[in-house]
Amino acid sequence: MNNQLMSFWQLVWTELRAIVADKAIAVTLFGGVLFYSVLYPLPYLHQVPTDQQIVVVDLDHSSLSRKLIRQADASPKISVIGQVGSISEAKVWIETGRAHGLLVIPYAFRRDLLLGKGVTLSYGGDASYFLIYSAVVEGLVTAGMDAGKQVQLLGLLAKGEAPEQANLSLNSVKINSVPTFNPSLGYTPYVVPGLFLLILHQTLLIGTGILGAGQWRNKGYWQQLSPLKLICSRISAFMLIYSVFASFYVGFCFYLYQVSIQASLGLVALFLLPFLLATSAAGIALSCLFVRRDLPTQVLLLASMPIMFVSGFVWPLTLIPEPLIWISQVIPAVPAIMGMLELNQMGASWTSIMPKWLQLWAMFAVFFVLAVYGVSRRLKANRQV
Amino acid sequence: MTNIVASIRRELHALWRSPWQLALVSYIPILSILCLWWLFSAGLPRQLPVAIVDHDNSQLSRMLSRKLEANPVISPQSFVDLPSAVTAMKQGEVYGLIVFPYNLKRDLVTGHSPTIDIRYNSQFLLVGKLLSSQIQLTLGAGLLEVAGVKLLLQDVPKPLVAVHLSPVKSQTTALFNRNNNYVGFLVPPVLVALWQLLAMLIFSNSLSRELTPTGSLIAGDGIWLRVWAKIAVFTPILLMHGGFILALLYQYLALPAAGSLALLMLAQTVMLFSVWLLVLLIFFIMRDSARMVSFGTAMFAPAFAFMGITFPVHEMPIAAQWWRLIMPSSHYIDSHVSIISYGSSWQTIVVQLSSYWGFLFIIPVLIILSRRVEVESMAQMPLEDESGVKG
Repeated sequence: MNNQLMSFWQLVWTELRAIVADKAIAVTLFGGVLFYSVLYPLPYLHQVPTDQQIVVVDLDHSSLSRKLIRQADASPKISVIGQVGSISEAKVWIETGRAHGLLVIPYAFRRDLLLGKGVTLSYGGDASYFLIYSAVVEGLVTAGMDAGKQVQLLGLLAKGEAPEQANLSLNSVKINSVPTFNPSLGYTPYVVPGLFLLILHQTLLIGTGILGAGQWRNKGYWQQLSPLKLICSRISAFMLIYSVFASFYVGFCFYLYQVSIQASLGLVALFLLPFLLATSAAGIALSCLFVRRDLPTQVLLLASMPIMFVSGFVWPLTLIPEPLIWISQVIPAVPAIMGMLELNQMGASWTSIMPKWLQLWAMFAVFFVLAVYGVSRRLKANRQV
Repeated sequence: MTNIVASIRRELHALWRSPWQLALVSYIPILSILCLWWLFSAGLPRQLPVAIVDHDNSQLSRMLSRKLEANPVISPQSFVDLPSAVTAMKQGEVYGLIVFPYNLKRDLVTGHSPTIDIRYNSQFLLVGKLLSSQIQLTLGAGLLEVAGVKLLLQDVPKPLVAVHLSPVKSQTTALFNRNNNYVGFLVPPVLVALWQLLAMLIFSNSLSRELTPTGSLIAGDGIWLRVWAKIAVFTPILLMHGGFILALLYQYLALPAAGSLALLMLAQTVMLFSVWLLVLLIFFIMRDSARMVSFGTAMFAPAFAFMGITFPVHEMPIAAQWWRLIMPSSHYIDSHVSIISYGSSWQTIVVQLSSYWGFLFIIPVLIILSRRVEVESMAQMPLEDESGVKG
């Protein structure tokens, strides 16, 4: 009876102690959140692939071809690691992983250019790895274009055009292409914002899941409580923990991993509030489906990859089949990741992400009702036993 | 011999009786594999929305817009003014923004080189990089045509115009994945990561069934007999899933594969055995089902990032390259790429498989740890006998 008189905050304190005392939950929450904040971005710390090894097949051996090779080597994206005599030799280099791309300079490259015939340079990159491929091709195309421009310039000057005029006629229109939102084209600013919200989401679901699954068939403080009281105190306890985690991720880690940040602290907090509330409510509702403590982790582990890809920060939403997008709208992480990217990374106004914010509040309401229903059934079944 | 057969039979019984294990070996893998493939099934990024703000409205700017329209990757959306286009960009409705400045054509004709501004969304790196290169290519080609007309006016003979415009042409080949298909690039590593997770879960569930709540072994056969029985049951099942992945990708979807799929199955078998070794190690150290799964999850969940398909291995920091070697999937994916892309023969693959040597050191550790478990279970057994007598 004393338990019923327990004040709300005492109850929250009990919940917090239950969370920390449970090794599996503590490992997932505290260990997982910290460990992943280091481990996940670890491969991407160098941000941009540079100096991709390419091999050159120079069939011309002229001054111009050597100049072209030097120019290619000067590009930050590629480094020429050697020359071979034939394409089939270059193939062996690529297959053994010594090189990732090749440049073929055709026979009579210089002579044809001087004679005013067109020549074709061939580039190849290992497209088994797209990032390597794009780096190799970007580097080589730029080097090739520069070589072509220089030849054109020489031709124009030879025809007696003034240097300034010649330059102008070569670059008649300037194309000024600039990346926005992630100016360095880095990999951590691309992956981290979405991924970290997903980690918060998954660990929160697992934590509430294990806690619930371990309690439904056992005796303890939860039996003496009304479902509503239990859920409110549990949500409060997890919100306390996750406000710290979320601040660590969105505050410190975003800064550490050079994620571009556009929104104000207040707006980010305002947006994260319904996300964390909806996720904890969803976690409690889900926990009613489990009675084995090792199941929530397994189910959510298998779900993480699909959730990551369907949320649209890796693979564009316009290319994902519509039915998958509809189904995914019931997962709190999906609107939260997109909304957060728009708000904090892309600088959208609050009004434009309002629908997603309201969607998260609606999710909170629905999952809360589901949680009340599920918990009351579980507690009733528990009392009957 | 009869012992192991009985053990295997017991294992199959246990599998049949556990709904979750049964789900893990049957419909969950099929559903997740198909689901992940469906997600990426578009394969080639197409019709990506790009905002066009045309301040010039000349014949030239409209011609360039039509060129952009003709590019399969780009789907131009016209915006009247810049602010609304910027808003659409910030909301992720368009992935790029092109501004044709006022007097574009006039400046071009009068020799005042105008500037066309392009902004692309690099927060979505994959889309952004693709659009950046496609937009530049398309505009470049469109502008070349204009320059060609100018050359013709300057009395350059027609056959020479092309050479004048671009004396050095380039021919770019995407080796081993000709059309830059994302299904061939991304789906195999994603599915291998999923497959590894499934193997870890199935095996650790099966192992934790042998534990009492206190973490000692349930009385019965020797621990190694049970482990062998589990390996005998789950290796073929998991290989079936692996085979299903290969059949889906390289037979049904007919993605190009240069080497033999039988070799890939060999590589999958070796990978499975190293997953078994790791899970056994976790089992002998943790001896608790929930903690085993938590630990296995922590280890294997980020396997995809460490494979080195999306971000090249030699660009990773040293710590990441070391951590990568702990994942069996990263060893496997190297063989996968060399078989599928380069058509490597079995000699190459055998050399690659030797990269697993580190996993062999787990075996003696397992033997030492397993002794500890057996002692505890021996101590436990008489107690259970007693309780049996009492009951």
